[in-house]
Order: sequence, then C-alpha cells, then structure tokens
Amino acid sequence: MRTERGHWLLWAYCLYLLAPLYWLLSLALRRNQDIVTRLQVLPSPPTLANFKEIFSDPVWYSAFGNSLSYVLLNTLISVAVALPAAYAFSRYRFLGDRHLFFWLLTNRMAPPAVFLLPFFQLYSALGLFDTPLAVALAHCLFTVPLAVWILEGFMSGVPRELDETARIDGHSLPYFFLRLFLPNLRAGIGVTLFFCFMFSWVELLLARTLTGSASKPIVVVMTRTVSASGIDWGVLAAAGVLTIVPGIAVVWFVRRHLARGFALGRV
Amino acid sequence: MSGRRYDNRAWLGVLPVLLIVAFSAVIPLMTVVNYSVQDIFDMSTRVFVGFDWYRDTLRDPRFIDALLRQIGFSLLVLSVELPLGILVARSLPRASPRTGLLLVLIAIPLLVPWNVVGTIWQLFARPDIGALGAAVNALGIPFNYTAEPLHAWIVLLMMDVWHWTSLVALLAYSGLASIQNLYYQAAELDGAGRWQTFRLVELPRLKAVLMIAVLLRLMDSFMIYTEPFVLTGGGPGDSTTFLSQHLTTMAVGQFDLGPAAAFSVLYFLVILLLCWLFYTAVMRDRDGADVDAN
Amino acid sequence: MAEITLEGLRFRYPDNPMDTLEALDLRIASGEAHALLGGSGAGKTTLLNLLSGLQTPTSGCIRFDGRDVTALAPRQRKVAQVFQFPVLYESLSVAAMLAVPLRNHGWSRRDAARRAAEIAARLDLAPLLNARSGDLSLYQKQLVAIGRALVRPDISLVLLDEPLTAVAPAIKWQLRRVLKTAQAELGATMIYVTHDQTEALTFAERISVLHAGRVLQTADPETLYEAPSHEQVAHFIGSPGMNLVPGEITAGRLWLAGHPLGGAPGLTDGACTIGFRPEWARVSAAPAVSPAAAGTSIGGVPVTVDAVRVLGTRLQQPEGLVGIRVGTTHVYTRQPIDVAPGCPGMLHVRPERLLVFRDGARVA
Repeated sequence: MRTERGHWLLWAYCLYLLAPLYWLLSLALRRNQDIVTRLQVLPSPPTLANFKEIFSDPVWYSAFGNSLSYVLLNTLISVAVALPAAYAFSRYRFLGDRHLFFWLLTNRMAPPAVFLLPFFQLYSALGLFDTPLAVALAHCLFTVPLAVWILEGFMSGVPRELDETARIDGHSLPYFFLRLFLPNLRAGIGVTLFFCFMFSWVELLLARTLTGSASKPIVVVMTRTVSASGIDWGVLAAAGVLTIVPGIAVVWFVRRHLARGFALGRV
Repeated sequence: MSGRRYDNRAWLGVLPVLLIVAFSAVIPLMTVVNYSVQDIFDMSTRVFVGFDWYRDTLRDPRFIDALLRQIGFSLLVLSVELPLGILVARSLPRASPRTGLLLVLIAIPLLVPWNVVGTIWQLFARPDIGALGAAVNALGIPFNYTAEPLHAWIVLLMMDVWHWTSLVALLAYSGLASIQNLYYQAAELDGAGRWQTFRLVELPRLKAVLMIAVLLRLMDSFMIYTEPFVLTGGGPGDSTTFLSQHLTTMAVGQFDLGPAAAFSVLYFLVILLLCWLFYTAVMRDRDGADVDAN
Repeated sequence: MAEITLEGLRFRYPDNPMDTLEALDLRIASGEAHALLGGSGAGKTTLLNLLSGLQTPTSGCIRFDGRDVTALAPRQRKVAQVFQFPVLYESLSVAAMLAVPLRNHGWSRRDAARRAAEIAARLDLAPLLNARSGDLSLYQKQLVAIGRALVRPDISLVLLDEPLTAVAPAIKWQLRRVLKTAQAELGATMIYVTHDQTEALTFAERISVLHAGRVLQTADPETLYEAPSHEQVAHFIGSPGMNLVPGEITAGRLWLAGHPLGGAPGLTDGACTIGFRPEWARVSAAPAVSPAAAGTSIGGVPVTVDAVRVLGTRLQQPEGLVGIRVGTTHVYTRQPIDVAPGCPGMLHVRPERLLVFRDGARVA
C-alpha cells in the first residue's frame, strides 16, 4: 500500500550510493597511465595489475593483519566489559546510575582529536605505543559506551520474569547470566559486534597516531603508499576496494538483525 | 526504566567499564586540562598561565571561524540527511525479498574506512579523473573543487550525505518497521493524506530513533576530521577547515600544547552541552513512554 | 447509512489454487447490526478487507444503496472500521482524534468539535475529551476508536473486527452494551466480525456463519439455533454444540443405532446424520428394555451414561449435562441429573425437534 510511493527516490538514492563505488572499482581495474589520459566509463581492457601489485607487497599483508588484530581485540574487550555493565543498568537502580550512564555516553561524543596527544603520551609511557593493544584500548573509549547502550536496550527487551524464575530455581547469578540469559541476547551481541567493528575498522586518526612502523594498520598504509610514490590512482583505488570488502562481509552476516539492531533494541 | 530493584551491588557490574573508560578517558582528559593552564616549552619547562590560553582561544579569529564553519556544516548536513534518511526509509519495501539486499546496500557506506570515503569522493569528483567532475565540466559548468571553496563545500556535503544518510535511514527504517499495518489502514479510512499519515502515524513512533539519529549525526559531524582531510586537506585556503582539523594542526603540526589543550577543553564542552540537551530530551521521552506502558 | 449488497463476491490470491472466498451473496439492510461468525481461516478478514476496499475482489460486486462501489478506494466508500486493538493517533487528544475524520471531509473546525463532543458524550467519553489518547486505558482507547468510527454522520458502513479482543473479560459486556446502544441510537449499519458466538448472538440482528470461504447460513439468532441449515452451523452454535450422530432412514423412519427415533416422511432411504440439541433430549435410568422387545415402537435408544456435569439446580434438583455413548458416538443431553455414570439408560429425543442432515446440509 505504502511501498509503491517514492520508489524512484529509492532507486535514485541507490544510484547515488553505487556511482562513486562503481567509479572506484572501475579505476581499480585500469592502469594509472590510462586513468590520467582519458575517461572511460567501462574499463577496457580491465586489468588486475593494481591488485597484483598490492598482493605482491608484504607490507599490505601485515597491515591487514594489524588492522584485524586491533579490531578483534577491541570488539572482544568492548563486549566483555559492556555485558555486565549493561545488565546492571537494565536490571538495577543504584547510586548515580543515570549520571554514570550519561557520563559514559559523553565519551562516545568526545572528539578523537582531543585525545590524540594525551593518548600518545600515555601509551608511550606504558610501552604500548605501536602495538595493536594500544589502538584497541583507545578505540574502547568510543566503542564501550556504545556497546553498553546497545546491549542495555536489548536486555531491557528480555522479560524480567526470566531473572526471577532463575532466582527461584536457585541458580547463581553467573550461571544464570552465562547459561540462561546470554542465549536470549544473541541478536544483541551480534549487533554490538557490528557497531564495534563499524567504529574500529573505519577509524583513522587514532590508529595512525598510536602506531609506528611495526603495527601499521591498513588504512594508514593506504595513505602512505600513495604519498610516497607520487599518486598511483589505480593502486589507490584497488586498495580502497580491498578495504571495503571486510565491511561488506560483516553487513552480510548481520543483515537479518540489521533493522532491529538499528533500533538499538528499543523500538 | 521502571520496576528495577535498588541494589548498589550493581556497581560491581559497572566496574570493568568504569576502569577501562577511566583509563582511556579520565587520565587523558586530566592531561589535557593540565596542559591547558600551562605554557609548555618542552617536557621539563612549563609555566602556569591560568586561563590565558582559554582567553586567547576564544579571541582567536581562526577558532571562531572554524567554530562557525563547523556549526554551519553540521546544520547543513543534518538538514539534508535527516529528511532524506526518513524519505529513503519510507520508500523501503517492508518484508519483501529485496529488503534484505537493499538494507545491506544502504549499510555499506557506514563500513567504509573514513579515509577511504575521502578517497572515493576524491576519485569521483576530481575534474581530471573523476566521473562527476568531468561530467559537470562537460555540461559547460566549470567545476573544480580543489580551487573553488563553494565547490569544495558542495563535494563535502555530497560526501557526508553519501556517508551518513544511511545511518538515519536505517534508524528510521527500524522505527517504521515497528508500526503495524493497521495504523495505515485506519488512517486511510479516515481520509488522511500522506502528510497527515506521516505526522500522526509515523512521526510519533519515529521520535525516539530520530532523537538518537540527531544526537549521533550532530556529534559525529562535529568531530569530522578524516574525510575532509583526505578530500580537501581543509582547503582551498581555510574554507573547509573544521574544529578537529584546526586542533590537529595545532597540536601535532605546530606542537602548541597549551593552546591546543585549551581548544580541546572548549571543543569538548561545546559537544557536552549539545549532548546533555539531547540526552535529557531523550530520557524524558523514554520515561514518558514508560508511563504509557503501565 | 446504507443497504449493503454483495453479489457473487469472490476472492482468490494470485498464487493460491483455492478461493479464499467463494461466490458470496448477501444483503444487509440499512441500519442493521449484522455479525460475521466463523473460526480462523473462514475468510472473515478477507471479506472485511473487501468491504473496506483494502482488497479488491477477483469477481463480483459490492453495492452500497444500489451504487456499485467495488472499484472505489477505501476513502471514497465512506466506511469506518474498529480494529481488534485500539488503533489511534496516540499523540492527539481525544477531541482532536475524533475530529480528524470530520476535518478530512471538509467540516469546519467548529462543527467538527461540536460533533466530536456529541459522539464523546454518547460514549461516556465527555470527561476525557482533553486527555491524550495515548494515556487512556485499553477500554477507553477502544471506546475512542469506536467513537472515531461513528463520528461521521454520512458513513455508509461501520466494520468491527473482533473489537472486544483486547478488552479485559470483565468489562467486555460493558463495551458491548455501549456499542449496541450507540448502534441503535444512530441507526448505523454495522458488520461485526467475531469467532465468539456469544458476542455474535447477543449483538447482531442477523448472523452470517462463514466456513472455509463460504457463507453457510444467514439468519437471526433464533433460527440459527433452532434450525441450522448446515451441520457445521449446528455444531458451531451452542455450547456444547448440537449432537450429530450417524443415523439411517428406512421406510420413512429414522433409525439411530438400530432403534427407531421418529418418522422421516418424504426422505429416501439411506445413511444420514441426525442432529438434536442437548435440551431436546433426555436420558432416563429406566431399566433397560431388551432391544427385541422394543420392536418397532418409538420407545427410546438404549445408551450408557459416561459422565455427568452439574451446572445448577432447578426446584432443588441438580441439573446439568449428561454425557452418554450411543454406539461409538458421544452425545450430551441437558436435563435433571437423575442418572449416574456407568448406568445403562434410555435416550428419548422429542421427535418434532429431530433434524436430519445429508452431505452436510439439512434436509428435514
């Protein structure tokens, strides 16, 4: 009934989303000298030379590994610490709960640029500079509040009767939480992982500041390789394509929970 | 949040979060505040200067300019992304086999690394190698975003809309998906038009998610750094230099620690104020909803 | 208010080999309170959507006062609907809520407000006119929803889709009374969809029983109860439903389990189904007469009492349901409880009340 309206708008919007992506892909499939000499809508002949160049360079491998390791570390830490906190917020009232919740959210709102220098000094002093852990911890500042927020929403959707039944049955809190409560939260945890990934994978500023040569992440390698060798548009585009692939894979896995996830479990 | 038991042992559950956030927020924030009241020549030579840096910053025309540009940019992107996101969400089919695919497509820009977003638009909009830039020039309109501030703003706006409208659309879609079809049928039988249906049926249900959308978009657009850094580098001139860009230049580029710290504190306070205003609005709304449910 | 006529109305989903609604003819008088009674999957909701215009029939036509409205959109039909649970604009006040349909149809602000207040008074909603719809109780919300459906005086038809579902059982009767009163006072043509026979029998002047996409019978409550035209109707109406037992007709007589039950003049010999309401039959604990001795006289059918359930007393005599077994079939009688489970008994049915069904339809 209402779906027929505004279809043209949806198609126009999809076109708007896809056009730059298509252009990126088409540049990635052309040699640099072709790119700068003439415009082509279809790459002809398409070439995988740019991708070959990237895959033959070990810097790219290690950069991918570095990125994945801090993203994984970050999502694990975030979910692990956010679960008990979200449970506390969703099930109990306690001294200062509202203020605490607000304070947590303010951290999500803090501009990363504000923390650049202090982070650099803090992690240098602790000997964590240039390790994936440093980036993971720095990203926690933004992902943990978000994770608490999302999980609290999902937990509020789980009926309190479940807790009460478990208490009457004499289960301990840890047993109840891990064995009975968490299985109800699978969608919520999946969505939280998605949002943590969404921040940690895409962030550049902190990742660049807190890494040196040893644990350089993929997003940084991309900018450096380019500025070093003049600008090779083809390789740049190919690298761009490669960094989008993990994102697409992650969306694909959570696609069924996407709508509910974006309601942050609340609606 | 009604019906929760009062129990201060719940603090134990919050403790890990508290520790980790304290470690990554409180300590650095204290460092920033500490710097902001000192003049630092090197790590061992520093002089207490009180609120001098704050006064200087507030009088610095570059700070004022960057702040005004920032406010202008944030309002601009919000005024485009919010209505567009809602329209896209409304035009998404519900529970059709294509819905899943469309949702995935719409979510993609959110998972593109921010510097790659800048790169994508750079490649797309450049007048020499970009499809968009070349196409506009081919139409006889001279277009070069690296030289013309207005063009740079247009491309920035297009990029931000490309990047973030999806967030609004997905939030709004999840809100719309919770409205049962009966509400639309009832409105239809009342003879309600499109606008009335939106205002009376959809908007009340969207209020909560739209609050979140506004909150996230306002804050995130206030922090924007990476995408314009890659796309325009803050130029031409200072025309696309926003607060984060300005701050990073000061702190990392020029190593003006004191002024940069004062700047940071002010920056943070502005965002905090906005955030608090919205948070109280959202919470009041949620409590209202709780009362309804009982 | 309008007279509603359905002519050969048929509906089938494009990918479904079966009709959801088979060719349906029905006439509902202007100002009539009509009920559509049927279980889930009977086609009630589809018929409702065809009437409101949310779905278009595959063939056939719908007339309001003789005018063909089949092709008209919902808003052009002047149809109002009350849903299973209150569907309101929760952000509006009750007064604003009731004025919406009027304002959308060209009423001035003042006239709309006056009419809204009038309807609210009729539904005992006057004190709540300024309350936010979303803040009301479920019962009050549903009253507002009913008010919204009745507020336009030019409305042709009011559809009620199980409107009491969401309301607490204790106040269902109250809502039904308000609804019935308003219907009578306003002379509204109403179609009340429900699966609950009590609601249908107490609300409607006439009832259409729907089963598997067909209207089995349209009649007033009494006729439905006493003379169901169809086995399904007989079984569906009443609590417990009508007893239906396999029988036999030979030589103009009706036989149950080898015993004559009554005459069946004009019917051909062969198998049939015998129907009788529990209160039309009685089991007596009289000593069993041997089948042979019973011969061909209409003396009764020997049965075994399975169970008894006391429902009340009458003249200090317990009264209730007696469950008995006739051959392999279980039937109930409603009578004084003067038999005990396990006892043999004799079943007598008032012969003038016996109904005979063949192939599901009643033949006598």
